[in-house]
Amino acid sequence: MSKRTVKMDDTKTLNLNVRKDFPILSKKILEKKDLIYFDTAASAQKPNIVINETNDFYKNHYSNVSRGVHTLSVESTFRYEEARKKVQKFLNARSENEIIFTKSATEGINLVAQTFYEKFMQKGDEVILSLIEHHSNLIPWFFLRDKYGVVLKFANIQPSGEIDIDHFDSLFTNKTKIVSLTHLSNVFGTELNEKLISICKDKNVPILLDGCQSAAHLKIDVQKLGCDFFVFSGHKTYGPAGIGVLYGTEDLLSEMPPYQGGGGMIGDVSLEGASYAELPAKYEAGTPPLVEAHGLGIAIDYMNKIGLDNIIEHENEITKYAFNKLNEIDFIEIHGGDNKRNSIISFNIKNIHSHEVSSFLDVEGIAIRAGHHCCQPLMKHLGVNSTARLSLGVYNSLEEVDKFVIALHKCKEFFNK
Amino acid sequence: MNDLINDLYQEIILDHGREPRNFGECDPHNKSADGHNPLCGDNLKLTFFLNDQNIIEDIKFTGEGCAISLASASLMTEKLKGKKIEVAEEIFKDFTNLVSGADEDLKVLNEEDSLYALKGVGGFPMRVKCATMAWHAFNQALKD
Repeated sequence: MSKRTVKMDDTKTLNLNVRKDFPILSKKILEKKDLIYFDTAASAQKPNIVINETNDFYKNHYSNVSRGVHTLSVESTFRYEEARKKVQKFLNARSENEIIFTKSATEGINLVAQTFYEKFMQKGDEVILSLIEHHSNLIPWFFLRDKYGVVLKFANIQPSGEIDIDHFDSLFTNKTKIVSLTHLSNVFGTELNEKLISICKDKNVPILLDGCQSAAHLKIDVQKLGCDFFVFSGHKTYGPAGIGVLYGTEDLLSEMPPYQGGGGMIGDVSLEGASYAELPAKYEAGTPPLVEAHGLGIAIDYMNKIGLDNIIEHENEITKYAFNKLNEIDFIEIHGGDNKRNSIISFNIKNIHSHEVSSFLDVEGIAIRAGHHCCQPLMKHLGVNSTARLSLGVYNSLEEVDKFVIALHKCKEFFNK
Repeated sequence: MNDLINDLYQEIILDHGREPRNFGECDPHNKSADGHNPLCGDNLKLTFFLNDQNIIEDIKFTGEGCAISLASASLMTEKLKGKKIEVAEEIFKDFTNLVSGADEDLKVLNEEDSLYALKGVGGFPMRVKCATMAWHAFNQALKD
Protein backbone atom coordinates (compact mmCIF):
# COMPACT_ATOMS: atom_id res chain seq x y z
CA MET A 1 0.00 0.00 0.00
CA SER A 2 1.26 3.47 -0.84
CA LYS A 3 2.03 5.72 2.08
CA ARG A 4 -0.41 8.55 2.34
CA THR A 5 -1.24 11.24 4.82
CA VAL A 6 -4.55 12.85 5.39
CA LYS A 7 -4.92 16.34 3.93
CA MET A 8 -5.77 18.37 6.98
CA ASP A 9 -4.72 21.76 8.26
CA ASP A 10 -2.05 22.04 10.91
CA THR A 11 -3.52 21.73 14.33
CA LYS A 12 -2.22 22.27 17.80
CA THR A 13 -2.71 19.87 20.65
CA LEU A 14 -5.28 21.20 23.05
CA ASN A 15 -5.58 19.72 26.46
CA LEU A 16 -9.26 20.17 27.06
CA ASN A 17 -8.99 18.28 30.34
CA VAL A 18 -12.63 17.22 30.26
CA ARG A 19 -12.31 13.50 30.92
CA LYS A 20 -13.11 14.12 34.58
CA ASP A 21 -16.49 15.54 33.52
CA PHE A 22 -17.63 12.12 32.31
CA PRO A 23 -18.20 9.70 35.21
CA ILE A 24 -18.47 6.61 32.99
CA LEU A 25 -14.90 7.13 31.78
CA SER A 26 -13.57 6.12 35.20
CA LYS A 27 -15.23 2.72 34.82
CA LYS A 28 -12.80 -0.20 34.59
CA ILE A 29 -13.54 -2.67 31.82
CA LEU A 30 -13.35 -6.27 33.06
CA GLU A 31 -12.36 -4.78 36.42
CA LYS A 32 -8.93 -3.59 35.41
CA LYS A 33 -8.69 -1.88 32.03
CA ASP A 34 -9.11 1.87 31.65
CA LEU A 35 -11.98 2.60 29.30
CA ILE A 36 -11.02 4.08 25.95
CA TYR A 37 -14.28 5.12 24.35
CA PHE A 38 -13.94 5.31 20.59
CA ASP A 39 -17.62 4.89 19.74
CA THR A 40 -18.99 8.40 20.03
CA ALA A 41 -20.46 8.24 16.52
CA ALA A 42 -22.80 5.53 17.81
CA SER A 43 -23.60 7.50 20.94
CA ALA A 44 -21.69 10.05 23.00
CA GLN A 45 -21.08 9.69 26.72
CA LYS A 46 -22.75 12.12 29.10
CA PRO A 47 -21.07 14.76 31.24
CA ASN A 48 -21.98 15.05 34.92
CA ILE A 49 -23.82 18.29 34.35
CA VAL A 50 -26.29 16.62 31.95
CA ILE A 51 -26.83 13.71 34.34
CA ASN A 52 -27.26 16.00 37.35
CA GLU A 53 -29.50 18.50 35.63
CA THR A 54 -31.88 15.85 34.31
CA ASN A 55 -32.04 14.36 37.82
CA ASP A 56 -32.75 17.80 39.21
CA PHE A 57 -35.58 18.28 36.72
CA TYR A 58 -37.32 15.13 38.00
CA LYS A 59 -36.60 15.95 41.64
CA ASN A 60 -37.56 19.59 41.72
CA HIS A 61 -39.40 20.85 38.66
CA TYR A 62 -41.20 18.02 36.89
CA SER A 63 -44.71 18.24 35.48
CA ASN A 64 -46.22 18.16 32.02
CA VAL A 65 -45.45 21.06 29.71
CA SER A 66 -47.69 23.68 28.10
CA ARG A 67 -50.82 22.34 29.78
CA GLY A 68 -51.38 23.33 33.38
CA VAL A 69 -51.18 26.67 35.07
CA HIS A 70 -49.63 25.53 38.35
CA THR A 71 -46.09 26.26 39.48
CA LEU A 72 -44.51 22.98 38.35
CA SER A 73 -46.12 23.22 34.94
CA VAL A 74 -44.62 26.69 34.58
CA GLU A 75 -41.18 25.47 35.66
CA SER A 76 -41.25 22.50 33.28
CA THR A 77 -42.52 24.56 30.37
CA PHE A 78 -39.85 27.19 31.01
CA ARG A 79 -37.08 24.58 30.87
CA TYR A 80 -38.51 22.92 27.77
CA GLU A 81 -38.78 26.21 25.88
CA GLU A 82 -35.36 27.38 27.10
CA ALA A 83 -33.95 24.22 25.51
CA ARG A 84 -35.61 25.16 22.24
CA LYS A 85 -33.95 28.59 22.36
CA LYS A 86 -30.57 26.97 22.98
CA VAL A 87 -31.06 24.65 19.99
CA GLN A 88 -32.14 27.60 17.85
CA LYS A 89 -28.89 29.42 18.68
CA PHE A 90 -26.85 26.21 18.30
CA LEU A 91 -28.10 25.84 14.71
CA ASN A 92 -28.46 29.58 14.08
CA ALA A 93 -32.08 29.13 12.99
CA ARG A 94 -34.08 32.30 12.35
CA SER A 95 -36.81 31.49 14.81
CA GLU A 96 -37.76 29.09 17.60
CA ASN A 97 -40.71 28.14 15.42
CA GLU A 98 -38.26 26.34 13.16
CA ILE A 99 -37.11 23.98 15.94
CA ILE A 100 -39.27 20.87 16.35
CA PHE A 101 -38.46 18.43 19.13
CA THR A 102 -38.79 14.79 18.10
CA LYS A 103 -37.83 11.56 19.79
CA SER A 104 -34.89 11.04 17.44
CA ALA A 105 -33.27 12.26 14.25
CA THR A 106 -34.88 9.24 12.60
CA GLU A 107 -38.30 10.50 13.59
CA GLY A 108 -37.40 13.87 12.09
CA ILE A 109 -36.63 12.30 8.71
CA ASN A 110 -39.80 10.20 8.81
CA LEU A 111 -41.78 13.32 9.66
CA VAL A 112 -40.40 15.21 6.68
CA ALA A 113 -40.78 12.28 4.27
CA GLN A 114 -44.41 11.71 5.18
CA THR A 115 -45.66 15.28 5.47
CA PHE A 116 -43.61 16.69 2.58
CA TYR A 117 -44.98 13.94 0.37
CA GLU A 118 -48.53 14.66 1.49
CA LYS A 119 -48.27 18.35 0.62
CA PHE A 120 -45.94 18.50 -2.33
CA MET A 121 -45.63 15.14 -4.08
CA GLN A 122 -47.48 12.55 -6.07
CA LYS A 123 -46.85 9.21 -7.75
CA GLY A 124 -43.85 9.31 -10.09
CA ASP A 125 -42.17 12.27 -8.35
CA GLU A 126 -38.51 11.83 -7.50
CA VAL A 127 -36.29 11.99 -4.43
CA ILE A 128 -32.48 12.13 -4.64
CA LEU A 129 -30.44 10.31 -1.99
CA SER A 130 -26.92 8.89 -2.08
CA LEU A 131 -25.05 5.65 -1.64
CA ILE A 132 -23.52 6.73 1.67
CA GLU A 133 -26.77 7.30 3.53
CA HIS A 134 -27.50 5.73 6.89
CA HIS A 135 -30.51 3.39 6.84
CA SER A 136 -32.44 6.09 8.71
CA ASN A 137 -32.09 8.33 5.66
CA LEU A 138 -33.07 5.52 3.28
CA ILE A 139 -35.96 3.58 4.76
CA PRO A 140 -38.32 6.55 5.36
CA TRP A 141 -37.97 7.28 1.63
CA PHE A 142 -38.34 3.57 0.73
CA PHE A 143 -41.75 3.82 2.42
CA LEU A 144 -42.72 6.55 -0.07
CA ARG A 145 -41.52 4.39 -2.96
CA ASP A 146 -43.40 1.31 -1.72
CA LYS A 147 -46.61 3.02 -0.65
CA TYR A 148 -47.00 5.81 -3.19
CA GLY A 149 -44.84 5.00 -6.21
CA VAL A 150 -42.27 7.71 -5.56
CA VAL A 151 -39.03 7.21 -7.55
CA LEU A 152 -35.73 7.19 -5.63
CA LYS A 153 -32.42 8.07 -7.24
CA PHE A 154 -29.05 7.50 -5.64
CA ALA A 155 -25.95 9.60 -6.21
CA ASN A 156 -22.74 7.61 -6.67
CA ILE A 157 -19.66 8.16 -4.59
CA GLN A 158 -16.04 8.67 -5.63
CA PRO A 159 -13.22 6.51 -4.25
CA SER A 160 -12.63 9.27 -1.68
CA GLY A 161 -16.04 8.45 -0.20
CA GLU A 162 -17.49 11.77 -1.29
CA ILE A 163 -20.57 12.16 -3.42
CA ASP A 164 -19.85 12.44 -7.14
CA ILE A 165 -21.04 15.97 -7.90
CA ASP A 166 -21.49 15.49 -11.66
CA HIS A 167 -23.50 12.34 -11.16
CA PHE A 168 -25.58 14.03 -8.48
CA ASP A 169 -26.25 16.95 -10.81
CA SER A 170 -27.30 14.59 -13.60
CA LEU A 171 -30.01 12.98 -11.48
CA PHE A 172 -32.27 16.05 -11.40
CA THR A 173 -35.37 16.16 -13.57
CA ASN A 174 -38.46 18.33 -13.45
CA LYS A 175 -39.97 15.66 -11.20
CA THR A 176 -37.28 15.98 -8.51
CA LYS A 177 -39.09 17.26 -5.43
CA ILE A 178 -36.63 16.85 -2.56
CA VAL A 179 -33.03 15.83 -1.81
CA SER A 180 -31.87 14.20 1.43
CA LEU A 181 -28.17 13.71 2.21
CA THR A 182 -25.89 13.10 5.14
CA HIS A 183 -24.01 16.17 6.31
CA LEU A 184 -21.12 14.09 7.67
CA SER A 185 -20.68 10.45 6.65
CA ASN A 186 -20.90 8.08 9.61
CA VAL A 187 -18.57 5.68 7.77
CA PHE A 188 -15.94 7.98 6.21
CA GLY A 189 -16.17 11.04 8.44
CA THR A 190 -16.16 13.24 5.34
CA GLU A 191 -18.22 16.40 5.17
CA LEU A 192 -20.82 17.11 2.51
CA ASN A 193 -19.48 19.34 -0.25
CA GLU A 194 -21.51 22.53 -0.03
CA LYS A 195 -21.64 22.68 -3.83
CA LEU A 196 -24.31 19.98 -3.57
CA ILE A 197 -26.50 22.36 -1.59
CA SER A 198 -25.89 25.12 -4.16
CA ILE A 199 -27.03 22.78 -6.92
CA CYS A 200 -30.29 22.17 -5.04
CA LYS A 201 -30.73 25.92 -4.52
CA ASP A 202 -30.13 26.61 -8.21
CA LYS A 203 -32.77 24.08 -9.12
CA ASN A 204 -35.11 25.25 -6.40
CA VAL A 205 -35.34 21.80 -4.82
CA PRO A 206 -35.46 21.61 -1.01
CA ILE A 207 -32.66 19.69 0.71
CA LEU A 208 -32.65 17.87 4.04
CA LEU A 209 -29.32 17.38 5.79
CA ASP A 210 -28.87 14.46 8.18
CA GLY A 211 -26.71 16.11 10.81
CA CYS A 212 -26.41 13.21 13.25
CA GLN A 213 -22.64 13.06 12.90
CA SER A 214 -21.97 16.72 12.29
CA ALA A 215 -23.91 18.40 15.09
CA ALA A 216 -21.23 18.10 17.80
CA HIS A 217 -18.25 17.96 15.44
CA LEU A 218 -18.78 20.88 13.03
CA LYS A 219 -20.12 24.37 13.55
CA ILE A 220 -23.66 24.34 12.24
CA ASP A 221 -25.26 27.40 10.72
CA VAL A 222 -28.41 26.35 8.90
CA GLN A 223 -28.84 29.79 7.34
CA LYS A 224 -25.33 29.83 5.96
CA LEU A 225 -25.62 26.23 4.81
CA GLY A 226 -28.87 27.08 3.09
CA CYS A 227 -30.49 23.75 3.86
CA ASP A 228 -34.27 23.54 4.16
CA PHE A 229 -34.30 20.81 6.80
CA PHE A 230 -31.66 19.63 9.26
CA VAL A 231 -31.99 16.80 11.77
CA PHE A 232 -29.79 15.68 14.64
CA SER A 233 -30.09 13.60 17.79
CA GLY A 234 -29.50 14.52 21.42
CA HIS A 235 -27.63 11.38 22.34
CA LYS A 236 -24.82 11.96 19.85
CA THR A 237 -24.30 15.50 21.13
CA TYR A 238 -23.63 14.56 24.80
CA GLY A 239 -27.32 14.85 25.68
CA PRO A 240 -29.87 12.17 26.58
CA ALA A 241 -31.25 9.54 24.22
CA GLY A 242 -34.93 9.95 23.32
CA ILE A 243 -34.66 13.52 22.04
CA GLY A 244 -34.07 14.61 18.48
CA VAL A 245 -34.32 17.89 16.64
CA LEU A 246 -35.87 18.75 13.32
CA TYR A 247 -35.05 22.16 11.92
CA GLY A 248 -37.20 23.25 9.00
CA THR A 249 -37.76 26.61 7.37
CA GLU A 250 -40.89 28.27 8.66
CA ASP A 251 -42.28 28.44 5.12
CA LEU A 252 -42.10 24.71 4.55
CA LEU A 253 -43.12 23.68 8.07
CA SER A 254 -46.14 25.99 7.83
CA GLU A 255 -47.27 24.47 4.57
CA MET A 256 -46.73 20.82 5.42
CA PRO A 257 -49.53 19.05 7.35
CA PRO A 258 -49.13 17.76 10.92
CA TYR A 259 -47.34 14.41 11.32
CA GLN A 260 -49.09 12.79 14.28
CA GLY A 261 -52.32 13.79 15.91
CA GLY A 262 -52.76 14.13 19.65
CA GLY A 263 -52.64 16.45 22.59
CA GLY A 264 -50.61 19.61 22.38
CA MET A 265 -50.81 19.99 18.59
CA ILE A 266 -54.37 21.27 18.34
CA GLY A 267 -55.93 24.71 18.09
CA ASP A 268 -59.54 23.85 18.74
CA VAL A 269 -61.31 20.48 18.70
CA SER A 270 -64.96 19.57 18.27
CA LEU A 271 -66.36 16.18 17.34
CA GLU A 272 -66.63 17.39 13.77
CA GLY A 273 -62.95 18.28 13.40
CA ALA A 274 -59.97 20.20 14.66
CA SER A 275 -57.74 23.10 13.85
CA TYR A 276 -54.05 22.77 14.49
CA ALA A 277 -51.63 24.64 16.66
CA GLU A 278 -49.09 27.09 15.30
CA LEU A 279 -45.45 26.13 14.94
CA PRO A 280 -43.66 24.46 16.60
CA ALA A 281 -46.45 22.77 18.63
CA LYS A 282 -48.16 21.64 15.38
CA TYR A 283 -45.55 18.87 15.03
CA GLU A 284 -45.28 17.94 18.70
CA ALA A 285 -48.29 15.72 19.39
CA GLY A 286 -48.38 14.07 22.79
CA THR A 287 -46.27 14.72 25.85
CA PRO A 288 -42.81 15.44 24.47
CA PRO A 289 -39.50 14.13 25.85
CA LEU A 290 -39.33 17.23 27.98
CA VAL A 291 -36.62 16.23 30.45
CA GLU A 292 -34.50 14.95 27.57
CA ALA A 293 -34.98 18.26 25.75
CA HIS A 294 -33.73 20.06 28.84
CA GLY A 295 -30.78 17.64 29.00
CA LEU A 296 -29.96 18.45 25.38
CA GLY A 297 -30.04 22.16 26.20
CA ILE A 298 -27.59 21.55 29.05
CA ALA A 299 -25.35 19.51 26.72
CA ILE A 300 -25.31 22.46 24.31
CA ASP A 301 -24.35 24.75 27.20
CA TYR A 302 -21.58 22.31 28.05
CA MET A 303 -20.19 22.31 24.49
CA ASN A 304 -20.42 26.10 24.34
CA LYS A 305 -18.53 26.42 27.62
CA ILE A 306 -15.60 24.41 26.23
CA GLY A 307 -16.04 26.18 22.92
CA LEU A 308 -17.09 24.36 19.79
CA ASP A 309 -14.00 25.67 17.99
CA ASN A 310 -11.80 24.09 20.66
CA ILE A 311 -13.71 20.81 20.46
CA ILE A 312 -13.35 20.74 16.67
CA GLU A 313 -9.64 21.55 16.78
CA HIS A 314 -9.05 18.92 19.46
CA GLU A 315 -10.88 16.25 17.47
CA ASN A 316 -9.19 17.22 14.22
CA GLU A 317 -5.80 16.85 15.87
CA ILE A 318 -6.60 13.35 17.10
CA THR A 319 -8.26 12.35 13.84
CA LYS A 320 -5.20 13.40 11.88
CA TYR A 321 -2.87 11.64 14.30
CA ALA A 322 -4.94 8.43 14.23
CA PHE A 323 -5.26 8.45 10.44
CA ASN A 324 -1.52 8.81 9.93
CA LYS A 325 -0.74 6.17 12.57
CA LEU A 326 -3.20 3.66 11.09
CA ASN A 327 -1.97 4.43 7.62
CA GLU A 328 1.58 3.41 8.55
CA ILE A 329 0.38 -0.09 9.40
CA ASP A 330 0.55 -2.36 6.38
CA PHE A 331 -2.16 -4.78 7.54
CA ILE A 332 -4.73 -2.02 7.92
CA GLU A 333 -6.96 -0.75 5.15
CA ILE A 334 -8.60 2.63 5.77
CA HIS A 335 -11.85 3.21 3.86
CA GLY A 336 -12.24 6.46 1.97
CA GLY A 337 -9.71 8.94 0.70
CA ASP A 338 -7.13 11.30 2.16
CA ASN A 339 -9.34 14.36 2.28
CA LYS A 340 -10.15 16.03 5.55
CA ARG A 341 -12.32 13.95 7.79
CA ASN A 342 -13.95 14.68 11.10
CA SER A 343 -13.63 12.36 14.06
CA ILE A 344 -14.45 9.14 12.17
CA ILE A 345 -12.17 6.51 10.58
CA SER A 346 -13.45 3.19 9.24
CA PHE A 347 -10.96 0.43 8.59
CA ASN A 348 -10.41 -3.29 8.28
CA ILE A 349 -7.53 -5.46 9.39
CA LYS A 350 -6.75 -7.65 6.42
CA ASN A 351 -8.28 -11.12 6.77
CA ILE A 352 -9.74 -10.45 10.21
CA HIS A 353 -13.45 -9.81 10.56
CA SER A 354 -14.35 -6.57 12.36
CA HIS A 355 -16.20 -8.56 15.04
CA GLU A 356 -12.97 -10.25 16.02
CA VAL A 357 -11.20 -6.88 16.15
CA SER A 358 -13.92 -5.38 18.31
CA SER A 359 -14.11 -8.32 20.75
CA PHE A 360 -10.33 -8.35 21.05
CA LEU A 361 -10.16 -4.60 21.70
CA ASP A 362 -13.03 -4.88 24.16
CA VAL A 363 -11.00 -6.94 26.58
CA GLU A 364 -8.26 -4.31 26.23
CA GLY A 365 -10.80 -1.73 27.41
CA ILE A 366 -11.29 -0.17 23.98
CA ALA A 367 -14.81 0.36 22.64
CA ILE A 368 -15.10 0.63 18.86
CA ARG A 369 -17.97 -0.10 16.51
CA ALA A 370 -17.91 -3.16 14.28
CA GLY A 371 -20.51 -3.99 11.67
CA HIS A 372 -22.26 -2.39 8.73
CA HIS A 373 -22.92 0.93 10.54
CA CYS A 374 -26.50 0.88 9.25
CA CYS A 375 -25.07 1.46 5.76
CA GLN A 376 -25.53 -1.89 4.02
CA PRO A 377 -25.76 -0.46 0.49
CA LEU A 378 -22.44 1.32 1.08
CA MET A 379 -20.82 -1.81 2.52
CA LYS A 380 -21.85 -3.68 -0.63
CA HIS A 381 -20.27 -0.92 -2.71
CA LEU A 382 -17.03 -1.14 -0.70
CA GLY A 383 -17.04 -4.92 -1.16
CA VAL A 384 -16.96 -5.65 2.56
CA ASN A 385 -19.69 -6.93 4.81
CA SER A 386 -18.52 -4.99 7.81
CA THR A 387 -15.87 -2.56 8.96
CA ALA A 388 -14.36 -1.50 12.24
CA ARG A 389 -14.85 2.15 13.10
CA LEU A 390 -13.00 4.50 15.38
CA SER A 391 -14.95 7.62 16.29
CA LEU A 392 -13.92 10.43 18.59
CA GLY A 393 -15.41 12.76 21.11
CA VAL A 394 -14.34 15.67 23.24
CA TYR A 395 -12.91 13.33 25.91
CA ASN A 396 -10.42 11.41 23.73
CA SER A 397 -6.66 11.90 23.61
CA LEU A 398 -3.56 11.18 21.52
CA GLU A 399 -2.36 8.75 24.20
CA GLU A 400 -5.51 6.68 23.68
CA VAL A 401 -4.69 6.42 20.00
CA ASP A 402 -1.22 5.09 20.90
CA LYS A 403 -2.76 2.41 23.13
CA PHE A 404 -5.25 1.59 20.40
CA VAL A 405 -2.48 1.10 17.84
CA ILE A 406 -0.58 -1.23 20.20
CA ALA A 407 -3.78 -3.23 20.75
CA LEU A 408 -4.31 -3.54 16.98
CA HIS A 409 -0.83 -5.05 16.59
CA LYS A 410 -1.60 -7.51 19.40
CA CYS A 411 -4.88 -8.37 17.71
CA LYS A 412 -3.19 -9.08 14.40
CA GLU A 413 -0.60 -11.24 16.13
CA PHE A 414 -3.27 -13.19 18.04
CA PHE A 415 -5.33 -14.10 15.01
CA ASN A 416 -2.33 -14.91 12.88
CA LYS A 417 -0.72 -17.19 15.43
CA MET B 1 -3.25 -12.85 26.91
CA ASN B 2 -6.65 -12.37 28.42
CA ASP B 3 -8.49 -15.55 29.45
CA LEU B 4 -11.78 -14.36 28.02
CA ILE B 5 -10.24 -13.95 24.59
CA ASN B 6 -8.48 -17.30 24.81
CA ASP B 7 -11.76 -18.96 25.83
CA LEU B 8 -13.61 -17.29 22.98
CA TYR B 9 -11.01 -18.04 20.34
CA GLN B 10 -9.87 -21.57 21.09
CA GLU B 11 -7.63 -23.13 18.47
CA ILE B 12 -10.46 -25.21 17.02
CA ILE B 13 -12.57 -22.07 16.51
CA LEU B 14 -9.76 -20.24 14.74
CA ASP B 15 -9.11 -23.31 12.62
CA HIS B 16 -12.76 -23.77 11.56
CA GLY B 17 -13.09 -20.00 11.11
CA ARG B 18 -10.16 -19.97 8.69
CA GLU B 19 -11.05 -23.18 6.92
CA PRO B 20 -14.72 -23.99 7.34
CA ARG B 21 -15.63 -27.65 6.69
CA ASN B 22 -18.64 -28.65 4.56
CA PHE B 23 -18.51 -25.29 2.81
CA GLY B 24 -20.68 -25.35 -0.30
CA GLU B 25 -24.13 -26.41 -1.37
CA CYS B 26 -25.60 -29.92 -1.06
CA ASP B 27 -26.55 -31.48 -4.37
CA PRO B 28 -29.21 -32.74 -4.13
CA HIS B 29 -30.86 -31.13 -1.13
CA ASN B 30 -34.45 -31.05 0.08
CA LYS B 31 -34.07 -28.60 2.96
CA SER B 32 -32.59 -25.11 3.00
CA ALA B 33 -32.73 -21.85 4.87
CA ASP B 34 -30.91 -18.54 5.01
CA GLY B 35 -29.38 -17.22 8.19
CA HIS B 36 -28.85 -13.52 8.64
CA ASN B 37 -27.59 -11.36 11.45
CA PRO B 38 -29.17 -7.95 10.84
CA LEU B 39 -26.92 -6.34 13.45
CA CYS B 40 -23.77 -6.90 11.42
CA GLY B 41 -24.77 -8.12 7.96
CA ASP B 42 -23.26 -11.60 8.34
CA ASN B 43 -25.22 -14.21 6.41
CA LEU B 44 -25.21 -17.83 5.36
CA LYS B 45 -27.18 -20.31 3.29
CA LEU B 46 -27.65 -23.77 4.73
CA THR B 47 -28.66 -26.78 2.64
CA PHE B 48 -29.12 -30.42 3.66
CA PHE B 49 -30.54 -33.68 2.45
CA LEU B 50 -32.94 -35.46 4.75
CA ASN B 51 -33.45 -39.08 3.67
CA ASP B 52 -36.58 -41.20 4.09
CA GLN B 53 -35.36 -42.47 7.46
CA ASN B 54 -35.20 -38.86 8.69
CA ILE B 55 -31.44 -38.92 8.75
CA ILE B 56 -29.41 -35.89 7.70
CA GLU B 57 -27.43 -37.55 4.95
CA ASP B 58 -25.47 -34.48 3.88
CA ILE B 59 -25.32 -30.89 5.12
CA LYS B 60 -23.38 -27.88 3.85
CA PHE B 61 -23.30 -24.12 4.12
CA THR B 62 -21.99 -21.07 2.32
CA GLY B 63 -21.81 -17.51 3.50
CA GLU B 64 -19.68 -14.80 4.97
CA GLY B 65 -19.12 -13.88 8.54
CA CYS B 66 -16.83 -13.61 11.50
CA ALA B 67 -14.72 -16.47 12.84
CA ILE B 68 -17.36 -17.32 15.44
CA SER B 69 -20.23 -17.58 12.95
CA LEU B 70 -18.19 -19.52 10.40
CA ALA B 71 -16.71 -21.90 12.98
CA SER B 72 -20.10 -22.46 14.55
CA ALA B 73 -21.65 -23.30 11.17
CA SER B 74 -18.73 -25.55 10.29
CA LEU B 75 -18.82 -27.43 13.60
CA MET B 76 -22.59 -27.73 13.35
CA THR B 77 -22.44 -29.43 9.96
CA GLU B 78 -19.82 -31.87 11.26
CA LYS B 79 -21.96 -32.67 14.28
CA LEU B 80 -25.28 -33.04 12.48
CA LYS B 81 -24.19 -35.06 9.49
CA GLY B 82 -25.59 -38.58 9.84
CA LYS B 83 -27.82 -37.72 12.79
CA LYS B 84 -31.52 -38.52 13.03
CA ILE B 85 -33.63 -35.41 13.05
CA GLU B 86 -34.90 -36.01 16.61
CA VAL B 87 -31.32 -36.14 17.87
CA ALA B 88 -30.38 -33.05 15.87
CA GLU B 89 -33.19 -31.14 17.50
CA GLU B 90 -31.91 -32.12 20.95
CA ILE B 91 -28.43 -30.95 19.98
CA PHE B 92 -29.91 -27.63 18.79
CA LYS B 93 -31.55 -27.10 22.19
CA ASP B 94 -28.39 -28.03 24.07
CA PHE B 95 -26.25 -25.78 21.92
CA THR B 96 -28.40 -22.69 22.41
CA ASN B 97 -28.30 -23.35 26.16
CA LEU B 98 -24.54 -23.84 26.08
CA VAL B 99 -23.72 -20.52 24.43
CA SER B 100 -26.19 -18.54 26.51
CA GLY B 101 -24.64 -19.78 29.74
CA ALA B 102 -27.44 -22.23 30.66
CA ASP B 103 -25.22 -25.31 30.41
CA GLU B 104 -26.12 -27.06 33.71
CA ASP B 105 -28.50 -29.65 32.31
CA LEU B 106 -27.42 -30.45 28.80
CA LYS B 107 -28.98 -33.66 27.51
CA VAL B 108 -26.81 -34.78 24.63
CA LEU B 109 -23.76 -32.53 24.51
CA ASN B 110 -20.80 -32.94 26.84
CA GLU B 111 -17.35 -31.49 27.33
CA GLU B 112 -15.86 -33.96 24.87
CA ASP B 113 -17.86 -32.44 22.03
CA SER B 114 -16.09 -30.05 19.71
CA LEU B 115 -19.15 -27.81 19.95
CA TYR B 116 -18.20 -27.22 23.56
CA ALA B 117 -15.42 -24.96 22.28
CA LEU B 118 -18.11 -22.32 21.65
CA LYS B 119 -19.00 -22.07 25.33
CA GLY B 120 -16.65 -19.06 25.62
CA VAL B 121 -19.14 -17.01 23.58
CA GLY B 122 -21.14 -16.74 26.80
CA GLY B 123 -18.52 -14.22 28.00
CA PHE B 124 -19.46 -11.92 25.09
CA PRO B 125 -23.25 -11.59 25.10
CA MET B 126 -23.23 -9.53 21.92
CA ARG B 127 -21.57 -12.41 20.09
CA VAL B 128 -24.16 -15.08 20.97
CA LYS B 129 -26.06 -14.22 17.79
CA CYS B 130 -22.90 -14.94 15.75
CA ALA B 131 -22.70 -18.43 17.24
CA THR B 132 -26.39 -19.25 16.83
CA MET B 133 -26.99 -17.91 13.32
CA ALA B 134 -26.36 -21.25 11.57
CA TRP B 135 -28.37 -23.14 14.16
CA HIS B 136 -31.37 -20.89 13.77
CA ALA B 137 -31.15 -21.41 10.01
CA PHE B 138 -31.17 -25.17 10.64
CA ASN B 139 -34.19 -24.86 12.90
CA GLN B 140 -35.93 -22.69 10.33
CA ALA B 141 -35.27 -25.23 7.56
CA LEU B 142 -36.93 -27.95 9.62
CA LYS B 143 -40.04 -25.83 10.07
CA ASP B 144 -40.39 -24.86 6.39
